[in-house]
Amino acid sequence: MTSTALRPPTAGRAASRGAAPPRQKLTPHRRKEALTFYLFISPWVIGFVVFLLGPMLFSIYLSFTEWDSFTAPVWVGLDNYITLLTDDPIFLRVMGNTAYYSLISVPLGMVVSLFIANLLNKKVRFRKLFRTLVYLPHLIPIVAVALIFQMVFAPEAGPLNQALALIGIDGPNWLRDADWVKPALILMSLWQAGGGTILLLAGMNGIPKELYEAAEIDGASGFRQFWSVTFPQLTPVIFFNLIMGIIGSFQVFAQVFILTGGGPDNASQMAVPMLFDEAFRFYHMGYGSAIAWILFVVIMAFTALAFATSGRWVFYESEVRQ
Amino acid sequence: MGAAGAAAGLAACGGGSAGGGGVPESDESHTSFVMTVWGGEEDKNAYQARIDLAKEKFPDYDITLQLIPSENYEQKVQTMISSKTGPDIMQVAENVNVYASKKQLVPIDDLLSESGLDLEATFGPVGANYTWDGATYGVPDRSGAMVLYYNKDLFDEAGVEYPTADWDWDTFLEAAKALTDPSKGQFGYGGVGWWPQWFSLVAQNGGNVLDPETGAPGVNSPEAVEALQFAHDLYFTHKVAPTEVDYSNMGPEMGADGAFQQGLVAMNSTGFWAVGGNAGIEGLNWDIAPFFHGAESAVSAFGSALVIPTAAKNPKGSFEIIQFLTSLEGQTPIADAGQDVPANLELQQSDAFLDPDWLEADVNLQAFPDSAEMIFTPKFIPEWNEMQKAIDDAMASFWLGESDAQTTADDLQGRLERVIKPSE
Repeated sequence: MTSTALRPPTAGRAASRGAAPPRQKLTPHRRKEALTFYLFISPWVIGFVVFLLGPMLFSIYLSFTEWDSFTAPVWVGLDNYITLLTDDPIFLRVMGNTAYYSLISVPLGMVVSLFIANLLNKKVRFRKLFRTLVYLPHLIPIVAVALIFQMVFAPEAGPLNQALALIGIDGPNWLRDADWVKPALILMSLWQAGGGTILLLAGMNGIPKELYEAAEIDGASGFRQFWSVTFPQLTPVIFFNLIMGIIGSFQVFAQVFILTGGGPDNASQMAVPMLFDEAFRFYHMGYGSAIAWILFVVIMAFTALAFATSGRWVFYESEVRQ
Repeated sequence: MGAAGAAAGLAACGGGSAGGGGVPESDESHTSFVMTVWGGEEDKNAYQARIDLAKEKFPDYDITLQLIPSENYEQKVQTMISSKTGPDIMQVAENVNVYASKKQLVPIDDLLSESGLDLEATFGPVGANYTWDGATYGVPDRSGAMVLYYNKDLFDEAGVEYPTADWDWDTFLEAAKALTDPSKGQFGYGGVGWWPQWFSLVAQNGGNVLDPETGAPGVNSPEAVEALQFAHDLYFTHKVAPTEVDYSNMGPEMGADGAFQQGLVAMNSTGFWAVGGNAGIEGLNWDIAPFFHGAESAVSAFGSALVIPTAAKNPKGSFEIIQFLTSLEGQTPIADAGQDVPANLELQQSDAFLDPDWLEADVNLQAFPDSAEMIFTPKFIPEWNEMQKAIDDAMASFWLGESDAQTTADDLQGRLERVIKPSE
C-alpha cells in the first residue's frame, strides 16, 4: 500500500538511526553494489534534476522578475508577490475559490467514496459489475466528462434541473450563476469519486475477519462494527486519499478551463487556470511563477496540517501509540 | 506538488533580447525555411499546395511547413521563439503585436518599397492592419469579412425579403422580429455576443472600443453605449436572438453556427468557414449577404498575415517567399480548396474564388469582395488576450440581462484601462 510511504517517522526509528554503526571502508563487493545502485537510480535522479528541480529553481528566480518570455527578464524583487497579495483585482478571490472548491470537494468526495465502498463490500449480486461501473467515470477523459456535464447542467433541458423540477425545485443556471458555479464543479468532481472507492475496497479486503467475529460475539451492530472496526482499520487509506485529494483539488485545471473558462466574471476561476492565463496567454511569466509558488506554499501548509493532525486519528496496526 | 511550481518554468529555456530597427543582415546562403501556421487537415493541404508552388518558383529554396493545432499555436511559437528555434515565416492574426511590440518581428517597410508591393492597393483596408509604432510587419494572407448567412426557407415562410447590403439597423430588426416564432423555438438572429459582432455595431454607430491610433479603450462613449443597448434589446426587449441560456438548452457546445444549421435561427453573422459547414447540411436552403450597416458601414473581418521573426537567418529570402505566397498565383490554392477568403483583392474578384469547383450550391460569394471596403479592424494591441478576458468577465452578466449597457460599459472601461497601456 502506498500509504505507508506517508507514515511519519516514529520516535523508535529515529533513535535507531542515531545509534548507527560508524562508517567503515567499503569492501570491493560493497563498492560494486553501490555503483550498481547509482547506475540504476540515475535515470530517475537525472530526470528529477533536469525536468523538475531545474525548472523549479528557475521558476523561483522568474517569480522575482518581469519576463515576457521573449526579451530579457527584468529583476523586480518582491513586486510580483506584493502586487498579487495587495493589488491584484482577482487573485485573492481566485485563491478563495480554490480553497472553497478543495475544502468542500475533498471531504465530500471522501464521504461518498467511503459510503460506496462500504456498499460494494457487502455480498450483493452483480458486485463485480457495480464495482466496475463505480470506477468507470474515473477512466473517462476529463474533456469528455466536461461535455457530458455541460448537458447535465443545462438550465432547463438538463437532466439535473428536470429532476429537481419533479420535486418542485426551480434549479439554478448552474454554470452561469456566480453563486452556483462552484457547487456545480464540486458536484462534477463527486461523479469521479470512484477512484477513491477502489483503494478503500482494497483496504477493506485487508481487514482481518477475526475482528468482525469478535465484535459480533460482543454484540456489536452493523453500524457499530463499521465505526469501531472498519473505519479505524481504513484510516491509513483515508489519510492517503485526503493528502492526494488536497494536492489534486488545489491544482484543479481542466474542468474549469473547459466548462466555465473561470466565468462568470471569475466566480469559478481557480489558481492553476489563472497561472496558465498569466504565464501563457498574457505573457507574464514572472507573475505566473509567483502564483505557482504561492499555491505551492498553500498546498504545503494544508498538507502539513493534515500530517500534524494525523497522529490523532490515523491508526497503524504495526505501531504502538506513544 | 512540485508540478504546480514547475509549470510556469517549463517553457523557460533561454530568452534574451533581439535588436529592433531595420531589416537584419540576410545570410543568403541560408536556403532552408520553416513556416509555421495553425489549423487542421484542410488548412494543411491548402498551405502545402501553396508551398509546392513556391518551391517551383524558387527551386533553390527548401521550405518546410509546420502545422500546429490552433489551440496550441500561441504557446508553441512562444516556446520556439524563446528557445531560439523560431520559424523563418510565421502566421499571425490579432496577436501580431504581442511579437512586434517585443521586437520579435522584422519591420518590412524597406523590403516592401524595394519590391514595389503596395499593401493597400493589393489587399484593401486590411493592408494597414499589421503595423506597430509606425512600422509594417505583416503581409495580409487571408481576410474574409463577417457576412450575414440567412435561411431562405424561413424567410419565404415569413414572407420577408432576402437581406441586401442596403439593410440598416431598422430593416434588420423588422426582419428579425418577423422571423422569430417562439412557438417553434425559432429565433430571427443568432446574436451579437461575440466580439467581432458587437465591435461591428459599435463601429457602425461611430464609436471605437479601442482608439484606432493609440489603442486606448473607449467602450463607454455614448456611441458605444447606444450600440450596446441595441445589442441588449435584441435579446431582452425584442427577444429575436437566443441568450446563452437558450443556447445551452438547445444542446452541448451549441452556438449560433450550429443553431443556424438546424434551422433554429434564421440569420447568423459569422465568417467564411460556415460556407463549407452549411453546404454539407442536407436540406438547408441558405445564402449569404453583406452584413447590415448602421449610421456608418463597418464590419469585422477574420484574417491572418505572414510575418518574419527577427531570428530568421535570411529575412530577404523569407520576404521573397511571402511576396509570392500572397500574390494572386500563390493564394489561388486557398480559393481552390475552399479554405478561406484569400486576402488578395484581385483573386477575391476572380472566378477561382467566386465560382469554385468545391462548392456545388449556388452561393453568393460576391458578398465577400463586396464587404472588403467596409472592413474595420480594431487596433491589434499587444494586450489582446487580456482584453478578451476582461470582456468575457465584465460582460457575463450583461449577456444574461442582469446588467444594463451603461453600467457594463463603465465597468469594462475600467478593466480595460487597467490592462491596456496605450501607445503614443
